[in-house]
Amino acid sequence: MFCTGLYILLVRQNLVKKLIGLNIMETAVFAFIVTTGMVEGGDPPVLGAGTGPVFVSPLPHALVLTGIVVAVSMTALALALIVRIKREHGTIELDELIRARQ
Amino acid sequence: MGAELFDLRPALAPLVSAICAGLVMLVGYRPGWRAGLALAAPVLKFGVVWSMLPGALAGTTYRISFGEVLPGLAFAFRVDALGLFFALVSSTLWIAATVYALAYMRGRPGQQRFFGFFALCVSTTVGIAFAENLMTLFVFYELLTVCTYPLLMHDGGLRVRRAGRRYLVYTLSGGALILAGMLLVWHLAGTLSLAGNGILSGVDSRPALLAVFVMLTAGFGVKAAIMPLHAWLPSAMVAPVPVSALLHAVAVVKAGAFGLLRVIYNVFGVDLMRELGYAQVLGAVAGATIILASIVALRQQRLKPLLAWSTISQLSYIVLAASLLTPAAAVAAIIHLANQAFAKITLFFAVGAIERGTGKTRIDELDGIGYRMPLVMGAFTVASLSFIGVPLLAGFITKWYLSLGALEAGAGGYVALLAVSALLNAMYWLPILYRAFFRRPESPAPVRPVSLMMRLPTLVCAIYVVILGIGAEAPAMPFVLAESAVRFAFGMHGVAP
Amino acid sequence: MVPLVFLLPLAAAALLPALFGARPRLAWYAALAVALATTVAAAVVAGALPAAGELRYAVGGWAAPLGIELRFDRIAAVTVAFGAVTALAITFSRTLTDSVPRPVLFYTLVLVNLGGLNGFALAADLFNLFVFMELLSVSAYALVAATRQPGAALAAIKYLLPGAVSSLLVLFAIGVLFALTGSLNMADVGARLAGVEAPAAVALALGALTVGFLVKAALFPLHFWLPDAHSAAPGPVSALLSALVVKVGVLGLLRTFELFGAAAGPGLLRLETLLTVLGAVAVVAGAVAAVVQHELKRMLAYSTVSNIGYIVLGLGLATTASVAGSIAHVFYHGLTKAGLFLAAAALVDRTGLHDIDDLRGLGHRMPWSATALSAGMIAVAGVPPTAGFVGKWQIALGALEGGRPLPVTVLLVTVVLGGALLALAYGIRVINALFFRAPTHHRVVAAREAPLSMLVPLVVLIGLALSAGLSGAAVIEFVRPVAEAFVGR
Repeated sequence: MFCTGLYILLVRQNLVKKLIGLNIMETAVFAFIVTTGMVEGGDPPVLGAGTGPVFVSPLPHALVLTGIVVAVSMTALALALIVRIKREHGTIELDELIRARQ
Repeated sequence: MGAELFDLRPALAPLVSAICAGLVMLVGYRPGWRAGLALAAPVLKFGVVWSMLPGALAGTTYRISFGEVLPGLAFAFRVDALGLFFALVSSTLWIAATVYALAYMRGRPGQQRFFGFFALCVSTTVGIAFAENLMTLFVFYELLTVCTYPLLMHDGGLRVRRAGRRYLVYTLSGGALILAGMLLVWHLAGTLSLAGNGILSGVDSRPALLAVFVMLTAGFGVKAAIMPLHAWLPSAMVAPVPVSALLHAVAVVKAGAFGLLRVIYNVFGVDLMRELGYAQVLGAVAGATIILASIVALRQQRLKPLLAWSTISQLSYIVLAASLLTPAAAVAAIIHLANQAFAKITLFFAVGAIERGTGKTRIDELDGIGYRMPLVMGAFTVASLSFIGVPLLAGFITKWYLSLGALEAGAGGYVALLAVSALLNAMYWLPILYRAFFRRPESPAPVRPVSLMMRLPTLVCAIYVVILGIGAEAPAMPFVLAESAVRFAFGMHGVAP
Repeated sequence: MVPLVFLLPLAAAALLPALFGARPRLAWYAALAVALATTVAAAVVAGALPAAGELRYAVGGWAAPLGIELRFDRIAAVTVAFGAVTALAITFSRTLTDSVPRPVLFYTLVLVNLGGLNGFALAADLFNLFVFMELLSVSAYALVAATRQPGAALAAIKYLLPGAVSSLLVLFAIGVLFALTGSLNMADVGARLAGVEAPAAVALALGALTVGFLVKAALFPLHFWLPDAHSAAPGPVSALLSALVVKVGVLGLLRTFELFGAAAGPGLLRLETLLTVLGAVAVVAGAVAAVVQHELKRMLAYSTVSNIGYIVLGLGLATTASVAGSIAHVFYHGLTKAGLFLAAAALVDRTGLHDIDDLRGLGHRMPWSATALSAGMIAVAGVPPTAGFVGKWQIALGALEGGRPLPVTVLLVTVVLGGALLALAYGIRVINALFFRAPTHHRVVAAREAPLSMLVPLVVLIGLALSAGLSGAAVIEFVRPVAEAFVGR
């Protein structure tokens, strides 16, 4: 998944598609981090009836939650920038933008 | 040796002219303020530098230190005999050069910048003279490059820019070499102090010492214009005359020569140099430079390039003398700092006056000029005779000691070389004098009156050349200092060389 | 006192739009005051360092390794410079309000950036490190695009994409480290890493962290995003980016090495060799690229690439002298480059001209800014005793001390000196154009000197840069313990 995202990011010229690639990468990393918290046979880390002594580590979930917030804000910023680029240059294809500048 | 004394004056000396430079740039748009400041600073500084003389003669060493740039490496000044001698020469000549420049530059654009940087140059020269360690010396050495650059570029235009670029390429590459050498010295010796005579004496790695020697001599050799590192100097002649005078008689080239002296006497030390034997190579290069530069000078048609080539030749006297490593030769090296400076600045002043008075720059246009500008050409005659080595003039003293030193070192060949050089000097100076005094001009061109402010410094410097020549013991320029510097370098106490 | 260093700017950033939304002048005063207060707080803490050794602060009273912990060590003392440069950049942007659509938001972003920077320097656990890094990165992306100038948005997105990837790499590495050690506290992770028997995973984390931070630091060849971003950003932002934000990569690298110190022996050695080579290449490549640039700000941006090369080279050489030099250079280059970018911004903004050739003769119209720029150029080249000198000298010394084979040593010293010479070369090009060429552009002839709010910060910075070398010994001594710890792993 990480590599798929990286591939899209590197190869696609469309800025929105690049951004999607970036998001795929992010998801990959988040998924990875969540799995690190997994404990064999552990229960969700919520206290209540029927929970055993073994819990799934809650820390990665907190991390990922923060990570998602960061990722969302970055995506929002990137989209805003892309909108502005579209308005200024009339295109969001990177190769065309570079050609237009020369 | 005498006591080391904490004193403000070593720092004050460079500071006076630096402050003057700042003031000139700030309020110098008024000609009156500018001239006043430009004159006040050299006089003040002259006083400061000379006031340290009695103490220095009594064996006192003044020093002052500022912040540490690196652990164990301070930004510091220290006045010893050699440094004070150099500072005396430059601060004395600064007065003359400033008076001259005020008249020469009158009515030209950009005077504010000109006099600002002019003052800064002298400030850095004294900084070089008083530097306590190689790093401080290097700081001012590089600053000198930076400050002379705007002066060199003063007139603008393509040719000037090209000369400026060449100057920078040469001097900055030289600077980089010095820096590399310094780095290696620091690595080997753990200090850069110039207070001892031979900080490298404890090092026994031959390749490293060779590397240091090559880097430092080549680095300083650029400004001292040793062949083949001289090419920047003739092209730098595009600058206004007072700049050429300052560059070639006082600041830049002398800084290079002074740096070489410091390297040989204080960084390596005489004993180590003798043991290593590198100095002989340096001496051979310097000897070749003396002859080759004179031969090139023979073929010059214009006055200023002639002076430039003569400078290249004369500077190598200093280098040659230093590389002989005998006390008498060392005296020659140090006093030639002064002798060459006074004689060469006289010549430049004279050439500038001729250029101002008649607009002539070529040698073959000088027919009969001696009768139109007797004062100026009289000074010119004295200075050029000094270069030929006529007794009773400054140049003779140098050659005398240098010959003594060469014999002491068992290198009699150099005495012959000096004779050849004197002959060559005669061959290019005498025709000019002949034209000036014994040929009638074909069409007498009108001579504009030249300001007294230009003629007077010319004359004073010429008189100095005579005084230096007849009165080696005269108080005018304290050769005693040179002697005590030599005694220190050679580890002698009380033995007159 | 410790949390104030990053909380102050962040809290102020949150309040600024609410309080002064419609009053940019007041917001300017407020932002300036906050930045100054932050600097003072950082300076007070840093002043207590030599006595205390290292200051730790547990946020909310929870003790490490579970709670969130802040750590103010000698590396974090660089926050003083962060705060000071930011304060000066804010001062400088007083009159920038004409070209920035929403000045209050601009000041807010600058403060967020400062908070992120300081937080990053203080963070004692990996996750806060990441959060603060994102905070400062996102605000930096936004700041690049803060002007109306065309192309700014494009430059920002070109900055954002590699920046985001590098952040992800760092996050990924943090995930791996957490999986390996079960902790996020840096000291704790470092200690537990020593016992981890999974060299491949450790190497993976190390590699991901290194590459991630090197992208942030814009080490050649990972610098491709920097010239666009730094030249398109408004003047004070370029100063912040070039002087401070890239240094985050370097700090991150330092923290990484600290982290892996006990664990990866041979891997780290290979990494040091790699850093040495890359650093040396970057020094030369950046300087050469700077020499051939036409645009003033782009030239300065490439000069940053070259100087980052120096810093990384010094870390890679891994001797006490060179590492101390590198850390000192982080600080010194920050001062100098901030001053340079502000001076360049003054010239460029007043005339609207970007090319060095167009700026010919401006030295006579804007003497203060032009002189400051020229002096800064000399300082960045490292002529002693200016700020650039100390670091480069130490790094060259490190190259001599390393005990490498002779040709390698000679090559390294040549690189260090050659980079400085090239820096002089491009500096002199600028000086020549400003002072020794006749104006070619009518806007130069009509130009007027910048207002005082612009001149004061740039003159202060350049003055510091010129005289900073005199304090070199103190700075080197201050960071020596860090360097010793770094080398003595």
